[in-house]
Amino acid sequence: MKQSNFVTWFKTGSPWVWMNAGAVAIAVIMTLGLLFLIAVRGLSHFWPADVMEAEYTIPGQPTITLLGEVTTREQVPTERLHGAGLPVDPEKSEFMQRELLKVGNRDLYGADFRWIVADWLTDERYPEDVIAIERREWGNFYGYLLNVSQDGKVIEGEQAKQALGASVERAEGIYKEIHSLETGAIGKINSELERIRLRQRGYELDNALTPDLQAELDAEAAVQHAHYAELETQLVDLYTAFNRDSLMARAMDGQEKRISMSAVVRVFQPNAMGVPEKMGHYFAKLWEFVSAEPREANTEGGVFPAIFGTVMMVLLMSVIVTPFGVLAAVYLREYAKQGVVTRIIRIAVNNLAGVPSIVYGVFGLGFFIYFLGGNIDQLFFPESLPSPTLGTGGLLWASLTLALLTVPVVIVATEEGLTRIPRSLREGSLALGATKSETLWKVILPMSSPAMMTGLILAVARAAGEVAPLMLVGVVKLAPTLPLNANYPYLHLDQKFMHLGFHIYDVGFQSPNVEAARPLVYATALLLVGVIASLNFAAVAIRNHLREKYKALEN
Amino acid sequence: MSNSTKTHAMDMSALGRPQQDMNMDQETIALDVPGLSLFYDAKQALHNVSIKIPRNRVTAFIGPSGCGKSTLLRCFNRMNDLVDSCRVDGQILLDGQDIYAKGVNVSELRRRVGMVFQKPNPFPKSIYENVAYGLRIQGVNNKRTLDEAVEWSLKGAALWDEVKDRLNESALGLSGGQQQRLVIARTIAVEPEVLLLDEPASALDPISTLKIEELINELKTKFTIVIVTHNMQQAARVSDYTAFMYMGELIEFGDTNTLFTNPSKKQTEDYITGRYG
Amino acid sequence: MPDKEAFNQHISQQFNAELEEIRTQLLEMGGLVEKQINDAIVALIEGDAKLAEQVREKDDAINQMELDIDQECMRILARRQPAASDLRLVISITKIIVDLERIGDEASKIARRAIDLVETGQAPKGYVECRHIGHHVRRMVQESLDAFARMDTDQAFSVAREDKSVDQEYKSAMREMITFMMEDPRSITRVLNILWVLRSLERVGDHARNVAEHVIYLVKGTDVRHIGLKRMEAEIRKEGKAE
Repeated sequence: MKQSNFVTWFKTGSPWVWMNAGAVAIAVIMTLGLLFLIAVRGLSHFWPADVMEAEYTIPGQPTITLLGEVTTREQVPTERLHGAGLPVDPEKSEFMQRELLKVGNRDLYGADFRWIVADWLTDERYPEDVIAIERREWGNFYGYLLNVSQDGKVIEGEQAKQALGASVERAEGIYKEIHSLETGAIGKINSELERIRLRQRGYELDNALTPDLQAELDAEAAVQHAHYAELETQLVDLYTAFNRDSLMARAMDGQEKRISMSAVVRVFQPNAMGVPEKMGHYFAKLWEFVSAEPREANTEGGVFPAIFGTVMMVLLMSVIVTPFGVLAAVYLREYAKQGVVTRIIRIAVNNLAGVPSIVYGVFGLGFFIYFLGGNIDQLFFPESLPSPTLGTGGLLWASLTLALLTVPVVIVATEEGLTRIPRSLREGSLALGATKSETLWKVILPMSSPAMMTGLILAVARAAGEVAPLMLVGVVKLAPTLPLNANYPYLHLDQKFMHLGFHIYDVGFQSPNVEAARPLVYATALLLVGVIASLNFAAVAIRNHLREKYKALEN
Repeated sequence: MSNSTKTHAMDMSALGRPQQDMNMDQETIALDVPGLSLFYDAKQALHNVSIKIPRNRVTAFIGPSGCGKSTLLRCFNRMNDLVDSCRVDGQILLDGQDIYAKGVNVSELRRRVGMVFQKPNPFPKSIYENVAYGLRIQGVNNKRTLDEAVEWSLKGAALWDEVKDRLNESALGLSGGQQQRLVIARTIAVEPEVLLLDEPASALDPISTLKIEELINELKTKFTIVIVTHNMQQAARVSDYTAFMYMGELIEFGDTNTLFTNPSKKQTEDYITGRYG
Repeated sequence: MPDKEAFNQHISQQFNAELEEIRTQLLEMGGLVEKQINDAIVALIEGDAKLAEQVREKDDAINQMELDIDQECMRILARRQPAASDLRLVISITKIIVDLERIGDEASKIARRAIDLVETGQAPKGYVECRHIGHHVRRMVQESLDAFARMDTDQAFSVAREDKSVDQEYKSAMREMITFMMEDPRSITRVLNILWVLRSLERVGDHARNVAEHVIYLVKGTDVRHIGLKRMEAEIRKEGKAE
């Protein structure tokens, strides 16, 4: 009877329901787990950890004082430590705990991190007057403030801390000024000068460079140079002011180090901060991460150019792929005679979606960049040769390559949408005396727009996450300027750009300081997911709006 | 006067004049089909059909499913052109002009011969835009002209009073019967000469069906109407002339009164009385 | 050509049954009417007051049958919306039952005269004519009902033709009666009764003709009322439905 009970239960279909629910549950858990992991790992990076000071004695060596943030603790086999040459006894215990201490001060010790064996630490303490200094180069500095020299005046003791705050604020103000001057006005002059040079080169190539023209160009260049000279003196002044103040600090081993205020980004006392202050610090860091430019080989600072590049590239790709895919789908579905040829084309299109993306990268490099770009350079930008304009990777080629990668998705989705429009609606329009193209424009395309949006959503999702082909067609680890800025012609399709996906790869694997950068990898990954999700949500919202509008006759 | 007498109000004209009888000899012909065959690839769907559709009359096509009545109807505005495998052999004369002649502008033809389909198929636009669609296609953009045409058409389709306050709302919010009348309004807005109705009430409830039938009766003063219907009672109610088709052939065509009381062909008799074919 | 079996070929079995039902009821009613005529004439000629009384009583049954069939026909019209031959069948039946009911009324009237004559004493003359014409019209009724049952237009036409000769016979009988009454005024009351009977029989003949005309309408779809026998014959001879 037990058997029969099982059989009855099996026949009710419950096992299938449970299996389906289980599959969904596993999918949900995996997705949430993934997000949770990268969120925790990534977001905790910005939390100001306490700085520990302790005495560290490796048996048989003199005791040293260590100062730094504990970033990880792990159990390692004693055997391995022994193998690394540390005086441990593998017989005593199988595992030992070791800690990764971020000691900073790369300029003094050569490395930011130091592995220490927990057993040898003594006298752990968290002194409140330890300061952490974020610097524009050489990473963080941990130590004690000795004095601040302000405009030649040396301030010591308690006043030094207040003076330090004022000095850092002042330096930050000057830094912003310098930055805006360099990227703004001076960048503009540089781009103007480049254009003058290209014009001159163009005339030379055409053998049209008359002395008159030369004089004219020289005059224009002279104006720019004069302007530049002005700005340069301004800049020199600013730099002098920038370097005016400095601070003196003592590192953990007693070395004293003078740090110019121009190198300081932020000074704080992590051990003295309460939770609200830490929160403030945390959000400031987070904001810096999404809004600022990267520093120190991308391991510090923000990723704004990468976000911008990603979004820009995806938008440009959408602009290219939508009309292209829609036109192709409309032709295939509405105009082409259905037969063997169209079936072959459909199969080809579907298979195109399965081609590995790096193959598209190779194609983009070979066809777009070397062939198209090279020829365009020969024809339209001979003046800047031998340095290529479009003959090298850039935003345009990257977008085109990704458009090619995603166009099958758009074609398939749009075709699907076109077939789902009720025949009666077409006939209704035709019966009113509309021609086929009028019907297409006025009834069919608006009604299939939700399907097109679906295609676009899939395309965006795929394109935004793609890295491999981009490495071949225009993404770089650090781009000097954004592809969209205030310099003519504003949108620089030929410029190389940064991309979040590539940024992750670069920071995670190409960085000189992999340990320091690892949390950033998670943070950037989280950000990439966020960017893709928000692009998708925007598209989904548009699609739902369209669906509501054209929910025609689906009953 | 009490309500009960109103429901069967007498037509005073019945008193004196003799009732006008339908007589084919006295009609002017709107659509003349001297002999039409139609093929889907090798399969013949219409076998040398000859029929004359009289002007300003309602002509009904009845017959079992697949008998070719809809196919014939769709020949009148060349809707069959949309089917690749379809080939037409023969002529259809609209006011003496062969609509299958070379160089005929099909869009222009379809404007002159409007069509309403089985399922209401309003466009996912506002009520106003639905009615104005045909005119906009013709390039009419003058607001006054459009307003007038929309009002005229909606009144003509007996829908104006129900929708005049919500012309800018989506047409998809209307009931099935209203949608079908909207489609009729949309079709008459371009002032066609002939109105083809392909089972216009088969998807509607009985009251909406009656409204459509009433509308057909009113519209026949302005248009020549050809209606395909599965519902024999409907054909009997609305039409002046009825054609019975069977297996792609026109079996019998005559005035509705005779055809429904005393058909001359046994096949017709068997079909309309519901006997085994 | 619609024939008797045709009514059994509907896709709807229920409809078949309903049509069959009213046909059967009509024939039943016809049979009863036939018997009434027969009985009335027998009662008259044989002076059987008891039989005459029975005839008068049975008239109520005929009236009831008319109402029943009428109602059934109305139900079919409302629910089945019959077309073509079905429609003509129902319409013909509603009309035939009116004529049959009238024939029943005439039979009742004859029975009433028979009772009168029993009370007042036999009429001196007219029984031969009554028997002759009575026999004639009874056969007409019988034949018209046969024509209905068999959908036989030829038989129906012959009934219509018979009516002419009944009219003739009625006229000559009437002349004879009037002459007799002028010669013997004492018998006027009784002969008048005979005259009434003759008139009723003539009416029965007219009604039988009507039934026959309805049968022709039922079969041919053409209305042959109020037209001469020649045209009626022409309509009947017209080519039937193409098969």
